[in-house]
Amino acid sequence: MIRLRPVARLAELRLLVWVAAFSLAGYAVVVAAAAGKFSWAQLLVPVIVLGLFAALHAFLVAVGFRGDQLLLPLALGLTGLGFVLVERLAPNLLIKQLSWLVLASGAFVAVILIPRDLSALARYKYTWALLGMALLVSPLLPVVGREINGARIWVGITGVMQFEPWELVKLALVVFFAAYLDEYREILSAPPRRFGPIPLPPLPYLLPIVLMWVVAMLVMVFEKDLGATLLFFGIFLAMLYLATGEPFYTVIGLLLLVAGGVVAYHVFGHVAARVDVWLAPFASDLRFDTGYQLTQGLFSLGNAGLFGAGLGNGMPERIPVVWSDFVFDAFTEEVGFAGALALLALYLAFVYRGMLVALRAPTTFLQLLAGGLSFIIAFQTLVIVGGNAKLIPLTGITLPFVAYGGSSLVTNFILCGLLLRVSDITARVRG
Amino acid sequence: MTGRSVAANIRGLTLIIAILFLLTSIGVGYWTFVAASDLNGDPFNPRLIAAVRDRARGRIVDAGNGDLAASFRAGDAYRRRYPDRSLAQVVGYASFKYGASGVEGAYQQALIGQDPSDLLGQWRARYLDERTAPGSIALGIDAKVQQAAFAALAGRRGAVVALDPKTGRILASVSLPNYDPNLLVDPAQQDVAWGQLNGNKDKPLLNRVAQGVYPPGSTFKIITAAAALESGISPDQRIRVDDPFQADKSWGDYFVRSATRAHGDFDMALAFQRSENIYFAKVGLQIGGANLAEYARKFGIGRLPDLDLAAAHGQLSNAGSLDRPTLAADTSYGQGELQVSPVQMALVAAAVANHGIMVQPHYATAVRDPGGGILRTIGGGAGDQVIRPETAARLTQLLVGAVEAPGAFAFGARIPNVHVAGKTGTAENPSGSPHGWFVGFAPAEDPQIAVAVIIENAADGGVDAAPIGGQVIRAFLGK
Repeated sequence: MIRLRPVARLAELRLLVWVAAFSLAGYAVVVAAAAGKFSWAQLLVPVIVLGLFAALHAFLVAVGFRGDQLLLPLALGLTGLGFVLVERLAPNLLIKQLSWLVLASGAFVAVILIPRDLSALARYKYTWALLGMALLVSPLLPVVGREINGARIWVGITGVMQFEPWELVKLALVVFFAAYLDEYREILSAPPRRFGPIPLPPLPYLLPIVLMWVVAMLVMVFEKDLGATLLFFGIFLAMLYLATGEPFYTVIGLLLLVAGGVVAYHVFGHVAARVDVWLAPFASDLRFDTGYQLTQGLFSLGNAGLFGAGLGNGMPERIPVVWSDFVFDAFTEEVGFAGALALLALYLAFVYRGMLVALRAPTTFLQLLAGGLSFIIAFQTLVIVGGNAKLIPLTGITLPFVAYGGSSLVTNFILCGLLLRVSDITARVRG
Repeated sequence: MTGRSVAANIRGLTLIIAILFLLTSIGVGYWTFVAASDLNGDPFNPRLIAAVRDRARGRIVDAGNGDLAASFRAGDAYRRRYPDRSLAQVVGYASFKYGASGVEGAYQQALIGQDPSDLLGQWRARYLDERTAPGSIALGIDAKVQQAAFAALAGRRGAVVALDPKTGRILASVSLPNYDPNLLVDPAQQDVAWGQLNGNKDKPLLNRVAQGVYPPGSTFKIITAAAALESGISPDQRIRVDDPFQADKSWGDYFVRSATRAHGDFDMALAFQRSENIYFAKVGLQIGGANLAEYARKFGIGRLPDLDLAAAHGQLSNAGSLDRPTLAADTSYGQGELQVSPVQMALVAAAVANHGIMVQPHYATAVRDPGGGILRTIGGGAGDQVIRPETAARLTQLLVGAVEAPGAFAFGARIPNVHVAGKTGTAENPSGSPHGWFVGFAPAEDPQIAVAVIIENAADGGVDAAPIGGQVIRAFLGK
């Protein structure tokens, strides 16, 4: 049984009032802009969403949770914004997204409750690694695997439900890496052998680098998903850096990634196609074909100006699959560069807060875990915003919390729950 | 423990992330501010068309104020109507789905009442949502010349362009096969039409006048002659022609061939009348590839014409220079690796006609405000002196001879009581039978019209093209 030991979480509560105000106002504007008029009945969905938010807060209060008070309002603020944008861009998906939110909230509660001691995660690290690998290859299985929009990264039953197992793999990977790197970190205490100015990486580091690189490349080849490849390898390199502080490993890793990318460009059509579109989306042979999505996204950005066209007033619906791939451009078109900066600031605040949790965590494992989880949010945001703004090739990575998508919402709520758990443990250890 | 603590690494990673967020923000700012005006004026940006869905777009009219594009009300939105199919690729289309092309695209902002010259109007549209009523775009197209050009080329693949050599105003522009732009603005038919047009290997959407590139064949001899005259070669000097020709044994089994299998002495006049390849190859070798390349560049070969619609730049050669003797010889009579567009060749003729001055070509002549007043005029620059006036005068005589002398190849362009200057060309190409060319201008003593005609895969090459040029000139002069 859960023992109730209520504590006040006033900072969290105050911030959630702002979240509620902004989400409701944004939603009302979008509804009014679309229908030309406004009725209170249309606010049913956002009220349910806010009710769920309030319930999550009440739950943390009730169980006497002592973790960070900023992370949840930041995550829920982004989620609330996500609902405003789903209503704006794909209102027919709203109810589906709402049911995913219920599931995500359940997962969040479970994470707060079940692993009372997170060291269990470290103890079973190879189990997590195996589970991650199994999830990773699951889309390649016959019956359940699905190829959607050219990427084979889905499992599901047609017509019932589809899920991107990749989303959960990210978490399994971070847990495994945190545990593995924690265990082998002591090898650093031996003076590193050097080959001239180059420090020779000890085998326990070198081996997994190569292994991970191979796996990442296999993902790229067989699941045709650049985003997953990038994220997979990015998480690994970031955590290696967190554990060792040795930039040399990161440089080797990046060089391997670039080399793999160059080879892939010349060998695999789907990689070359992505890169060609990135380089010249306006080329006359691409602009109505594979470059259409990106050019329409850039038109959205061009229409943004400082304060945007106003919610409901732009034309982002011209971008194909805007609700999952191009939410950032759509949002920017209607709220302007100022709004885009505010959105990026929210992500940066979340990441900063997550990194602070990592900094204060009592054990190296928890530090690496929280650092890796925060990095996922930062990296996904950078990769998809960079893709939307033609700074890097576009990938299928979603904008965390905001973009439509059930698998990613559930995963991000679990991620947020884990970060909160680490901060709760810290608070208890420190008294 | 050596190495840094995990805490220090967390700080380092956070710093890197913060820097990347900053760079990303700058990148987003680039599109929202720096590139914004390009994006907002892009003819494919659906916002431009959507902005005036519930309003009429500006008219596009020809020189006689006849409608070439006008808006009408269809249900709850306005739609475009294009009465003259012969101008399909020039006027273009403004489709909500497929963007805008031609004049509809190039003058998109003016057509929705946001002409770049009207800054106040642009700001009012953006921030107050008050749009200035759109003006109209006046083209230089002369309806009777246009109809004559269309009728003359009908049933063939190719292009005709006529322009005023003194101002660069385009009087007629036909590109065949063409298409019905009305289909692309009809929501019920546009998808099928778009698919068919893009799948058509004859490329009806292409404006062959400016975007089609072909080897110029013998019409290029005008440039070779201009270079020769200015390099001290006398037009009266006789040069021995013996078919087939090669400069020396290093050419191996490569020869320049004469179209008439000629053996004899040619001066420049006779060489123009009979279009003698070997004469021009020898002249080209004498003045040198670098010299010839320099004149080709002056005449705009391989350079994007400063046109107000999309155009191709073509090429002098694959490498851009003429360093091999065989390439220089082949280029001298218009083969080699040359690629030119009809409007480029029309400009070559126009420069000769206009005392050696090449002017800027333009389809539109003015952007007008809703009341019919001139908002801004298009074109009218001073032009570049590409050859000396004496050279131009001499070339004009030679080109009149190429039309009027007994046995001249370009006889088909003759008009009673008018001296026509012109040159045919028969361009060998890899796609089958040779393309037929004619470029010329008239009247020779005071040129008012310059034309270029190309017929793709013509049966008799330039001989087929010359009469089309003649008919266009006739329609313009009213003879």
